[in-house]
Amino acid sequence: MKRLLGVALGILTAIGGFVDIGDLVTNAVVGSRFGMSLIWVVGVGVIGICLYADMSGRVAAVSGRATFEVIRERLGPRAGLANLGASFFINLMTVTAEIGGIALALQLVTSVHHLLWIPLAAFAVWLVIWRVRFKIMENVAGLLGLCLVVFGVALFLLNPDWGQLAGQALAPAVPQTENAAVYWFYAIALFGAAMTPYEVFFFSSGAVEEGWKTKDLVQSRINVLAGFPLGGMLSVAIAGCAAVVLLPAGIEVTSLSQIVLPVAEAGGKLALAFALVGILAATFGAALETTLSSGYTLAQFFGWSWGKFRSPVRAARFHLSMIVCLLVALAVLATGADPILITEYSVVFSAVALPLTYLPILIVANDPQYMGTNVNSRTINVAANIYLLIILAASLCAIPLMIITGAGA
Amino acid sequence: MILTDVLGSRVYGPDATYLGRVADARFVLDQPPPGQLLAGARLQGLIVSPHSAGSFMGYERNNVNRPWPWAQLLKWWHRGSFLVLWADIKVMGPETVTLREGFSAHDPGLEGAGTA
Repeated sequence: MKRLLGVALGILTAIGGFVDIGDLVTNAVVGSRFGMSLIWVVGVGVIGICLYADMSGRVAAVSGRATFEVIRERLGPRAGLANLGASFFINLMTVTAEIGGIALALQLVTSVHHLLWIPLAAFAVWLVIWRVRFKIMENVAGLLGLCLVVFGVALFLLNPDWGQLAGQALAPAVPQTENAAVYWFYAIALFGAAMTPYEVFFFSSGAVEEGWKTKDLVQSRINVLAGFPLGGMLSVAIAGCAAVVLLPAGIEVTSLSQIVLPVAEAGGKLALAFALVGILAATFGAALETTLSSGYTLAQFFGWSWGKFRSPVRAARFHLSMIVCLLVALAVLATGADPILITEYSVVFSAVALPLTYLPILIVANDPQYMGTNVNSRTINVAANIYLLIILAASLCAIPLMIITGAGA
Repeated sequence: MILTDVLGSRVYGPDATYLGRVADARFVLDQPPPGQLLAGARLQGLIVSPHSAGSFMGYERNNVNRPWPWAQLLKWWHRGSFLVLWADIKVMGPETVTLREGFSAHDPGLEGAGTA
Protein backbone atom coordinates (compact mmCIF):
# COMPACT_ATOMS: atom_id res chain seq x y z
CA MET A 1 0.00 0.00 0.00
CA LYS A 2 2.76 2.34 1.00
CA ARG A 3 4.61 1.49 -2.19
CA LEU A 4 1.48 2.13 -4.28
CA LEU A 5 1.07 5.51 -2.60
CA GLY A 6 4.69 6.27 -3.36
CA VAL A 7 4.14 5.48 -7.04
CA ALA A 8 0.97 7.59 -7.19
CA LEU A 9 2.71 10.48 -5.45
CA GLY A 10 5.64 10.23 -7.86
CA ILE A 11 3.35 10.33 -10.89
CA LEU A 12 1.29 13.24 -9.56
CA THR A 13 4.47 15.18 -8.75
CA ALA A 14 5.82 14.54 -12.23
CA ILE A 15 2.56 15.76 -13.82
CA GLY A 16 2.40 18.93 -11.73
CA GLY A 17 6.11 19.52 -12.07
CA PHE A 18 6.18 19.15 -15.84
CA VAL A 19 4.74 22.56 -16.64
CA ASP A 20 6.82 25.68 -16.01
CA ILE A 21 6.76 29.26 -17.25
CA GLY A 22 8.32 28.15 -20.55
CA ASP A 23 5.51 25.65 -21.24
CA LEU A 24 2.83 28.11 -20.10
CA VAL A 25 4.01 30.97 -22.29
CA THR A 26 5.09 29.00 -25.35
CA ASN A 27 1.97 26.85 -25.49
CA ALA A 28 -0.33 29.85 -25.10
CA VAL A 29 1.59 31.86 -27.73
CA VAL A 30 1.57 28.93 -30.14
CA GLY A 31 -2.14 28.19 -29.52
CA SER A 32 -3.09 31.82 -30.09
CA ARG A 33 -1.16 32.04 -33.37
CA PHE A 34 -1.18 28.56 -34.87
CA GLY A 35 -4.23 26.91 -33.28
CA MET A 36 -3.51 23.22 -32.72
CA SER A 37 -1.34 22.90 -35.82
CA LEU A 38 1.92 22.75 -33.79
CA ILE A 39 0.64 20.49 -31.06
CA TRP A 40 2.45 17.47 -32.52
CA VAL A 41 5.67 19.08 -31.27
CA VAL A 42 4.51 18.64 -27.66
CA GLY A 43 4.22 14.92 -28.37
CA VAL A 44 7.69 14.79 -29.90
CA GLY A 45 9.11 16.75 -26.95
CA VAL A 46 7.42 14.59 -24.33
CA ILE A 47 8.74 11.35 -25.82
CA GLY A 48 12.19 12.98 -25.98
CA ILE A 49 12.18 14.09 -22.35
CA CYS A 50 10.96 10.62 -21.29
CA LEU A 51 13.93 9.01 -23.07
CA TYR A 52 16.43 11.53 -21.76
CA ALA A 53 15.13 11.47 -18.18
CA ASP A 54 14.98 7.67 -18.21
CA MET A 55 18.64 7.42 -19.30
CA SER A 56 19.97 10.06 -16.90
CA GLY A 57 17.87 8.73 -14.01
CA ARG A 58 19.16 5.21 -14.68
CA VAL A 59 22.79 6.41 -14.84
CA ALA A 60 22.32 8.30 -11.55
CA ALA A 61 20.60 5.40 -9.79
CA VAL A 62 23.08 2.72 -10.89
CA SER A 63 26.37 4.64 -10.83
CA GLY A 64 25.46 7.26 -8.20
CA ARG A 65 26.69 9.99 -10.54
CA ALA A 66 24.56 12.90 -11.67
CA THR A 67 24.64 14.44 -15.15
CA PHE A 68 27.46 16.93 -14.80
CA GLU A 69 29.74 14.53 -12.95
CA VAL A 70 29.39 12.26 -15.97
CA ILE A 71 29.97 15.11 -18.44
CA ARG A 72 33.09 16.28 -16.62
CA GLU A 73 34.46 12.75 -16.53
CA ARG A 74 33.74 11.93 -20.16
CA LEU A 75 34.49 15.22 -21.90
CA GLY A 76 37.53 16.21 -19.91
CA PRO A 77 38.15 19.63 -18.37
CA ARG A 78 38.15 21.90 -21.44
CA ALA A 79 35.25 20.62 -23.54
CA GLY A 80 33.44 19.99 -20.24
CA LEU A 81 33.91 23.61 -19.18
CA ALA A 82 32.58 24.92 -22.51
CA ASN A 83 29.61 22.61 -22.06
CA LEU A 84 29.09 23.82 -18.49
CA GLY A 85 29.31 27.45 -19.61
CA ALA A 86 26.55 27.05 -22.20
CA SER A 87 24.30 24.89 -20.03
CA PHE A 88 24.77 27.08 -16.97
CA PHE A 89 24.05 30.30 -18.88
CA ILE A 90 20.80 28.92 -20.28
CA ASN A 91 19.81 27.57 -16.91
CA LEU A 92 20.41 30.99 -15.35
CA MET A 93 18.17 32.49 -18.01
CA THR A 94 15.48 29.97 -17.04
CA VAL A 95 15.91 30.85 -13.32
CA THR A 96 15.33 34.49 -14.25
CA ALA A 97 12.25 33.63 -16.29
CA GLU A 98 10.76 31.48 -13.51
CA ILE A 99 11.28 34.14 -10.81
CA GLY A 100 9.70 36.67 -13.17
CA GLY A 101 6.85 34.20 -13.66
CA ILE A 102 6.22 33.94 -9.89
CA ALA A 103 6.12 37.74 -9.71
CA LEU A 104 3.72 37.98 -12.67
CA ALA A 105 1.41 35.40 -11.08
CA LEU A 106 1.47 37.35 -7.81
CA GLN A 107 0.72 40.53 -9.74
CA LEU A 108 -2.37 38.87 -11.22
CA VAL A 109 -3.55 37.89 -7.74
CA THR A 110 -2.83 41.18 -5.98
CA SER A 111 -2.65 43.90 -8.68
CA VAL A 112 0.66 44.96 -7.14
CA HIS A 113 3.29 45.55 -9.87
CA HIS A 114 5.46 42.51 -10.53
CA LEU A 115 8.71 44.41 -9.99
CA LEU A 116 7.75 44.79 -6.33
CA TRP A 117 7.15 41.06 -6.00
CA ILE A 118 10.46 40.01 -7.55
CA PRO A 119 12.69 40.43 -4.45
CA LEU A 120 10.13 38.61 -2.32
CA ALA A 121 9.84 35.80 -4.87
CA ALA A 122 13.63 35.35 -4.99
CA PHE A 123 13.85 35.45 -1.18
CA ALA A 124 11.10 32.84 -0.86
CA VAL A 125 12.90 30.57 -3.35
CA TRP A 126 16.13 30.89 -1.38
CA LEU A 127 14.40 30.25 1.94
CA VAL A 128 12.76 27.06 0.69
CA ILE A 129 16.04 25.80 -0.77
CA TRP A 130 17.85 26.61 2.47
CA ARG A 131 15.31 25.18 4.91
CA VAL A 132 12.80 22.75 3.40
CA ARG A 133 13.56 19.07 2.91
CA PHE A 134 13.97 17.90 -0.69
CA LYS A 135 11.06 15.45 -0.70
CA ILE A 136 8.58 17.91 0.84
CA MET A 137 9.71 20.70 -1.47
CA GLU A 138 9.29 18.55 -4.57
CA ASN A 139 5.93 17.03 -3.63
CA VAL A 140 4.17 20.21 -2.42
CA ALA A 141 5.08 22.18 -5.56
CA GLY A 142 4.18 19.27 -7.84
CA LEU A 143 0.83 18.55 -6.19
CA LEU A 144 -0.26 22.21 -6.14
CA GLY A 145 0.84 22.43 -9.79
CA LEU A 146 -1.91 19.89 -10.50
CA CYS A 147 -4.35 22.83 -10.18
CA LEU A 148 -3.36 23.51 -13.81
CA VAL A 149 -5.75 20.69 -14.71
CA VAL A 150 -8.25 23.54 -14.72
CA PHE A 151 -6.98 24.40 -18.22
CA GLY A 152 -8.26 21.01 -19.36
CA VAL A 153 -11.59 21.55 -17.58
CA ALA A 154 -11.85 25.02 -19.15
CA LEU A 155 -11.29 23.55 -22.59
CA PHE A 156 -14.33 21.28 -22.08
CA LEU A 157 -16.44 24.11 -20.62
CA LEU A 158 -15.64 26.27 -23.66
CA ASN A 159 -17.40 23.62 -25.72
CA PRO A 160 -15.14 23.99 -28.75
CA ASP A 161 -15.61 22.50 -32.20
CA TRP A 162 -13.66 19.31 -31.40
CA GLY A 163 -13.64 18.24 -35.02
CA GLN A 164 -11.89 21.43 -36.04
CA LEU A 165 -9.33 21.18 -33.21
CA ALA A 166 -8.61 17.55 -34.01
CA GLY A 167 -8.35 18.42 -37.70
CA GLN A 168 -5.72 21.07 -36.95
CA ALA A 169 -3.83 18.72 -34.67
CA LEU A 170 -3.90 15.66 -36.92
CA ALA A 171 -3.29 17.37 -40.26
CA PRO A 172 -0.87 20.13 -39.28
CA ALA A 173 -0.36 22.92 -41.79
CA VAL A 174 1.13 26.40 -41.65
CA PRO A 175 -1.78 28.86 -41.15
CA GLN A 176 -2.24 31.34 -44.01
CA THR A 177 -1.48 34.28 -41.74
CA GLU A 178 1.99 32.91 -40.83
CA ASN A 179 5.00 31.90 -42.89
CA ALA A 180 6.89 28.62 -42.76
CA ALA A 181 10.01 30.04 -41.04
CA VAL A 182 7.93 31.39 -38.15
CA TYR A 183 6.09 28.06 -37.92
CA TRP A 184 9.35 26.14 -37.58
CA PHE A 185 10.80 28.70 -35.18
CA TYR A 186 7.86 28.11 -32.84
CA ALA A 187 8.16 24.37 -33.37
CA ILE A 188 11.71 24.60 -31.96
CA ALA A 189 10.56 26.87 -29.12
CA LEU A 190 7.85 24.37 -28.16
CA PHE A 191 10.35 21.51 -28.36
CA GLY A 192 12.79 23.46 -26.13
CA ALA A 193 9.99 24.18 -23.66
CA ALA A 194 9.10 20.48 -23.38
CA MET A 195 12.74 19.29 -23.33
CA THR A 196 14.44 21.87 -21.11
CA PRO A 197 17.89 20.67 -19.97
CA TYR A 198 17.33 21.68 -16.33
CA GLU A 199 14.61 19.04 -16.02
CA VAL A 200 17.28 16.41 -16.54
CA PHE A 201 19.92 18.04 -14.30
CA PHE A 202 17.29 18.20 -11.59
CA PHE A 203 15.95 14.70 -12.22
CA SER A 204 19.34 13.00 -12.11
CA SER A 205 20.60 15.04 -9.14
CA GLY A 206 17.27 14.39 -7.41
CA ALA A 207 17.89 10.66 -7.85
CA VAL A 208 21.16 11.08 -5.93
CA GLU A 209 19.46 13.32 -3.33
CA GLU A 210 16.83 10.68 -2.68
CA GLY A 211 19.40 7.88 -2.67
CA TRP A 212 17.95 5.85 -5.53
CA LYS A 213 19.43 2.44 -6.11
CA THR A 214 19.02 -0.08 -8.91
CA LYS A 215 15.90 -1.50 -7.23
CA ASP A 216 14.17 1.90 -7.51
CA LEU A 217 14.49 1.92 -11.30
CA VAL A 218 11.01 0.52 -11.90
CA GLN A 219 9.39 3.27 -9.87
CA SER A 220 11.46 5.95 -11.58
CA ARG A 221 10.43 4.60 -14.96
CA ILE A 222 6.75 4.63 -13.99
CA ASN A 223 7.07 8.22 -12.75
CA VAL A 224 8.60 9.32 -16.01
CA LEU A 225 6.48 7.29 -18.42
CA ALA A 226 3.18 8.16 -16.76
CA GLY A 227 3.89 11.58 -15.28
CA PHE A 228 5.56 13.36 -18.19
CA PRO A 229 2.99 12.42 -20.88
CA LEU A 230 0.15 13.43 -18.54
CA GLY A 231 2.04 16.68 -17.84
CA GLY A 232 2.29 17.10 -21.60
CA MET A 233 -1.51 16.88 -21.72
CA LEU A 234 -1.62 19.99 -19.51
CA SER A 235 0.54 21.77 -22.11
CA VAL A 236 -1.86 20.69 -24.83
CA ALA A 237 -4.83 21.98 -22.79
CA ILE A 238 -3.13 25.37 -22.37
CA ALA A 239 -2.55 25.59 -26.12
CA GLY A 240 -6.10 24.37 -26.76
CA CYS A 241 -7.63 27.09 -24.57
CA ALA A 242 -5.60 29.72 -26.42
CA ALA A 243 -6.60 28.24 -29.79
CA VAL A 244 -10.30 28.34 -28.93
CA VAL A 245 -10.52 31.80 -27.34
CA LEU A 246 -7.50 33.89 -28.29
CA LEU A 247 -6.94 32.83 -31.92
CA PRO A 248 -10.42 33.80 -33.21
CA ALA A 249 -10.26 37.08 -31.28
CA GLY A 250 -6.88 37.89 -32.81
CA ILE A 251 -5.22 38.24 -29.39
CA GLU A 252 -1.46 37.58 -29.39
CA VAL A 253 -0.12 36.51 -26.01
CA THR A 254 2.27 39.01 -24.46
CA SER A 255 1.27 38.73 -20.80
CA LEU A 256 0.23 36.16 -18.21
CA SER A 257 -3.28 37.69 -17.92
CA GLN A 258 -3.95 36.69 -21.53
CA ILE A 259 -2.89 33.10 -20.82
CA VAL A 260 -5.55 32.76 -18.10
CA LEU A 261 -8.22 34.67 -20.04
CA PRO A 262 -9.81 31.54 -21.56
CA VAL A 263 -9.99 29.92 -18.10
CA ALA A 264 -11.76 32.97 -16.67
CA GLU A 265 -14.17 33.04 -19.60
CA ALA A 266 -14.99 29.35 -19.25
CA GLY A 267 -15.16 28.88 -15.51
CA GLY A 268 -15.34 32.30 -13.88
CA LYS A 269 -13.62 33.29 -10.65
CA LEU A 270 -13.28 29.82 -9.15
CA ALA A 271 -11.55 28.43 -12.23
CA LEU A 272 -9.35 31.50 -12.40
CA ALA A 273 -8.36 30.98 -8.75
CA PHE A 274 -7.32 27.41 -9.54
CA ALA A 275 -5.36 28.55 -12.57
CA LEU A 276 -3.53 31.18 -10.53
CA VAL A 277 -2.65 28.73 -7.74
CA GLY A 278 -1.49 26.29 -10.42
CA ILE A 279 0.66 28.86 -12.20
CA LEU A 280 2.14 30.09 -8.93
CA ALA A 281 2.97 26.52 -7.88
CA ALA A 282 4.33 25.61 -11.30
CA THR A 283 6.59 28.66 -11.56
CA PHE A 284 7.67 28.43 -7.93
CA GLY A 285 8.41 24.72 -8.26
CA ALA A 286 10.36 25.34 -11.45
CA ALA A 287 12.21 28.25 -9.83
CA LEU A 288 13.33 25.85 -7.08
CA GLU A 289 14.34 23.22 -9.63
CA THR A 290 16.27 25.62 -11.86
CA THR A 291 18.03 27.35 -8.96
CA LEU A 292 19.02 23.97 -7.54
CA SER A 293 20.12 22.89 -11.03
CA SER A 294 22.49 25.85 -11.25
CA GLY A 295 24.06 24.76 -7.96
CA TYR A 296 24.08 21.11 -9.00
CA THR A 297 25.80 21.71 -12.35
CA LEU A 298 28.51 23.96 -10.90
CA ALA A 299 29.18 21.78 -7.87
CA GLN A 300 29.21 18.55 -9.86
CA PHE A 301 31.59 19.96 -12.43
CA PHE A 302 34.04 21.46 -9.94
CA GLY A 303 33.81 18.57 -7.50
CA TRP A 304 32.30 20.53 -4.59
CA SER A 305 30.19 18.72 -2.05
CA TRP A 306 26.57 19.26 -3.00
CA GLY A 307 23.05 18.25 -2.21
CA LYS A 308 20.19 19.19 0.03
CA PHE A 309 20.74 15.99 1.97
CA ARG A 310 23.80 17.74 3.42
CA SER A 311 23.32 20.70 5.74
CA PRO A 312 24.26 24.06 4.12
CA VAL A 313 27.45 24.25 6.20
CA ARG A 314 28.59 20.96 4.64
CA ALA A 315 27.85 22.17 1.11
CA ALA A 316 28.77 25.83 1.46
CA ARG A 317 29.88 26.52 -2.12
CA PHE A 318 26.81 24.77 -3.51
CA HIS A 319 24.52 27.02 -1.47
CA LEU A 320 26.59 30.15 -2.08
CA SER A 321 26.51 29.63 -5.84
CA MET A 322 22.72 29.38 -5.75
CA ILE A 323 22.47 32.61 -3.75
CA VAL A 324 24.67 34.34 -6.36
CA CYS A 325 22.49 32.97 -9.18
CA LEU A 326 19.35 34.29 -7.50
CA LEU A 327 21.00 37.71 -7.08
CA VAL A 328 21.99 37.76 -10.76
CA ALA A 329 18.41 36.85 -11.75
CA LEU A 330 17.15 39.62 -9.47
CA ALA A 331 19.53 42.13 -11.05
CA VAL A 332 18.40 41.20 -14.57
CA LEU A 333 14.73 41.47 -13.66
CA ALA A 334 15.33 44.76 -11.82
CA THR A 335 16.26 46.36 -15.14
CA GLY A 336 12.60 46.00 -16.08
CA ALA A 337 13.26 43.26 -18.65
CA ASP A 338 10.00 41.54 -19.57
CA PRO A 339 9.87 38.05 -17.98
CA ILE A 340 7.66 36.75 -20.81
CA LEU A 341 10.25 37.83 -23.37
CA ILE A 342 13.08 36.26 -21.31
CA THR A 343 11.03 33.05 -21.23
CA GLU A 344 10.56 33.03 -24.99
CA TYR A 345 14.31 33.35 -25.53
CA SER A 346 15.17 30.82 -22.81
CA VAL A 347 13.14 28.02 -24.43
CA VAL A 348 14.84 28.57 -27.80
CA PHE A 349 18.32 28.58 -26.24
CA SER A 350 17.37 25.43 -24.32
CA ALA A 351 16.93 23.72 -27.67
CA VAL A 352 20.34 25.04 -28.79
CA ALA A 353 22.16 23.61 -25.75
CA LEU A 354 20.39 20.26 -25.58
CA PRO A 355 22.86 18.10 -27.60
CA LEU A 356 25.72 19.12 -25.27
CA THR A 357 24.31 17.17 -22.37
CA TYR A 358 22.33 14.57 -24.29
CA LEU A 359 25.20 12.83 -26.09
CA PRO A 360 27.41 12.16 -23.02
CA ILE A 361 24.44 10.67 -21.17
CA LEU A 362 23.60 8.46 -24.16
CA ILE A 363 27.19 7.20 -24.23
CA VAL A 364 27.45 6.52 -20.49
CA ALA A 365 24.05 4.78 -20.50
CA ASN A 366 25.73 2.29 -22.86
CA ASP A 367 28.86 1.70 -20.77
CA PRO A 368 28.67 -1.68 -18.99
CA GLN A 369 31.47 -0.65 -16.59
CA TYR A 370 29.07 1.91 -15.13
CA MET A 371 25.72 0.37 -15.81
CA GLY A 372 26.31 -3.39 -15.53
CA THR A 373 23.25 -5.09 -16.96
CA ASN A 374 21.24 -1.87 -16.94
CA VAL A 375 22.73 -0.53 -20.18
CA ASN A 376 20.38 0.83 -22.84
CA SER A 377 18.43 -1.82 -24.70
CA ARG A 378 18.67 -1.89 -28.49
CA THR A 379 15.19 -0.35 -28.81
CA ILE A 380 16.13 2.55 -26.54
CA ASN A 381 19.33 3.08 -28.52
CA VAL A 382 17.43 3.26 -31.81
CA ALA A 383 14.95 5.74 -30.33
CA ALA A 384 17.76 7.71 -28.65
CA ASN A 385 19.66 7.97 -31.95
CA ILE A 386 16.55 9.20 -33.78
CA TYR A 387 16.11 11.80 -31.06
CA LEU A 388 19.73 12.79 -31.28
CA LEU A 389 19.13 13.69 -34.92
CA ILE A 390 16.01 15.68 -34.01
CA ILE A 391 17.84 17.45 -31.19
CA LEU A 392 20.81 18.27 -33.44
CA ALA A 393 18.51 19.59 -36.18
CA ALA A 394 16.60 21.76 -33.71
CA SER A 395 19.84 22.99 -32.16
CA LEU A 396 21.43 23.94 -35.49
CA CYS A 397 18.32 25.60 -36.94
CA ALA A 398 17.28 27.53 -33.82
CA ILE A 399 19.56 30.56 -34.10
CA PRO A 400 19.34 31.00 -37.92
CA LEU A 401 15.53 30.80 -37.67
CA MET A 402 15.57 33.24 -34.78
CA ILE A 403 17.48 35.75 -36.91
CA ILE A 404 15.39 35.21 -40.07
CA THR A 405 12.07 35.53 -38.26
CA GLY A 406 13.10 38.29 -35.84
CA ALA A 407 12.43 35.86 -32.96
CA GLY A 408 9.04 34.89 -34.32
CA ALA A 409 7.74 38.44 -34.73
CA MET B 1 52.17 22.09 -13.12
CA ILE B 2 48.56 21.02 -13.18
CA LEU B 3 47.01 18.36 -15.35
CA THR B 4 45.29 20.87 -17.63
CA ASP B 5 48.75 22.14 -18.67
CA VAL B 6 49.68 18.69 -19.90
CA LEU B 7 46.47 17.70 -21.66
CA GLY B 8 46.67 18.60 -25.33
CA SER B 9 50.52 18.93 -25.28
CA ARG B 10 52.41 17.70 -28.33
CA VAL B 11 54.27 14.43 -27.81
CA TYR B 12 57.65 13.76 -29.51
CA GLY B 13 59.69 10.60 -29.71
CA PRO B 14 63.42 10.53 -28.74
CA ASP B 15 64.35 11.36 -32.33
CA ALA B 16 62.00 14.39 -32.30
CA THR B 17 59.35 12.71 -34.46
CA TYR B 18 55.84 13.95 -33.76
CA LEU B 19 53.71 11.20 -32.25
CA GLY B 20 50.46 12.94 -31.32
CA ARG B 21 48.89 14.83 -28.47
CA VAL B 22 48.25 14.00 -24.83
CA ALA B 23 44.57 13.02 -24.71
CA ASP B 24 44.34 11.76 -21.15
CA ALA B 25 46.31 10.74 -18.06
CA ARG B 26 45.99 7.32 -16.46
CA PHE B 27 46.16 7.06 -12.68
CA VAL B 28 46.40 4.01 -10.45
CA LEU B 29 44.93 4.11 -6.95
CA ASP B 30 47.59 2.08 -5.10
CA GLN B 31 49.13 4.61 -2.75
CA PRO B 32 48.32 5.18 0.93
CA PRO B 33 45.52 7.80 1.10
CA PRO B 34 46.96 11.26 1.82
CA GLY B 35 43.98 12.12 4.00
CA GLN B 36 40.42 11.27 4.92
CA LEU B 37 38.15 10.88 1.85
CA LEU B 38 41.15 11.23 -0.49
CA ALA B 39 42.49 8.54 -2.76
CA GLY B 40 46.20 7.83 -3.15
CA ALA B 41 46.61 8.24 -6.89
CA ARG B 42 49.84 7.54 -8.79
CA LEU B 43 50.34 8.67 -12.37
CA GLN B 44 50.82 5.52 -14.42
CA GLY B 45 51.27 7.24 -17.74
CA LEU B 46 49.83 9.37 -20.49
CA ILE B 47 47.49 8.40 -23.30
CA VAL B 48 48.72 9.74 -26.63
CA SER B 49 46.38 10.12 -29.58
CA PRO B 50 47.91 10.70 -33.05
CA HIS B 51 44.83 12.37 -34.57
CA SER B 52 42.99 14.35 -31.93
CA ALA B 53 43.46 15.81 -28.48
CA GLY B 54 39.70 15.66 -27.92
CA SER B 55 38.06 13.40 -25.38
CA PHE B 56 37.65 9.67 -26.02
CA MET B 57 34.39 9.77 -24.03
CA GLY B 58 35.74 6.68 -22.23
CA TYR B 59 36.09 4.43 -25.27
CA GLU B 60 39.85 3.94 -24.89
CA ARG B 61 39.39 1.89 -21.73
CA ASN B 62 37.29 -0.95 -23.00
CA ASN B 63 35.91 -2.62 -26.09
CA VAL B 64 32.38 -1.22 -25.87
CA ASN B 65 31.01 -0.74 -29.37
CA ARG B 66 27.67 0.90 -28.64
CA PRO B 67 25.75 3.08 -29.25
CA TRP B 68 26.25 2.82 -32.97
CA PRO B 69 27.57 4.99 -34.68
CA TRP B 70 29.13 7.12 -31.92
CA ALA B 71 31.34 4.39 -30.51
CA GLN B 72 32.72 3.57 -33.98
CA LEU B 73 33.17 7.26 -34.80
CA LEU B 74 35.09 8.02 -31.59
CA LYS B 75 37.25 4.91 -31.93
CA TRP B 76 38.10 5.84 -35.51
CA TRP B 77 38.93 9.35 -34.45
CA HIS B 78 41.40 8.05 -31.87
CA ARG B 79 42.79 5.17 -33.92
CA GLY B 80 46.44 4.41 -33.19
CA SER B 81 46.31 5.77 -29.63
CA PHE B 82 48.69 4.30 -27.09
CA LEU B 83 49.58 4.45 -23.42
CA VAL B 84 53.12 5.54 -22.55
CA LEU B 85 54.31 4.82 -19.02
CA TRP B 86 55.65 7.48 -16.67
CA ALA B 87 59.08 5.79 -16.70
CA ASP B 88 59.31 6.31 -20.46
CA ILE B 89 58.79 10.08 -20.27
CA LYS B 90 61.99 12.10 -20.55
CA VAL B 91 60.73 15.69 -20.42
CA MET B 92 57.25 16.73 -19.35
CA GLY B 93 57.10 20.39 -20.24
CA PRO B 94 54.11 22.69 -20.30
CA GLU B 95 53.92 22.65 -24.12
CA THR B 96 55.60 19.43 -25.20
CA VAL B 97 56.27 15.96 -23.87
CA THR B 98 59.39 14.08 -25.01
CA LEU B 99 59.76 10.32 -24.64
CA ARG B 100 62.90 8.37 -23.75
CA GLU B 101 64.92 6.23 -26.10
CA GLY B 102 63.35 2.77 -26.43
CA PHE B 103 59.99 3.72 -24.98
CA SER B 104 57.19 1.22 -25.43
CA ALA B 105 53.68 2.05 -26.61
CA HIS B 106 51.07 0.05 -24.67
CA ASP B 107 47.49 -0.71 -25.54
CA PRO B 108 45.37 1.94 -23.77
CA GLY B 109 42.59 -0.53 -22.90
CA LEU B 110 42.07 -1.68 -19.32
CA GLU B 111 42.48 -5.37 -18.64
CA GLY B 112 39.35 -7.21 -17.58
CA ALA B 113 36.30 -5.20 -16.65
CA GLY B 114 38.46 -2.51 -15.06
CA THR B 115 37.03 -0.16 -12.48
CA ALA B 116 35.54 3.17 -13.34
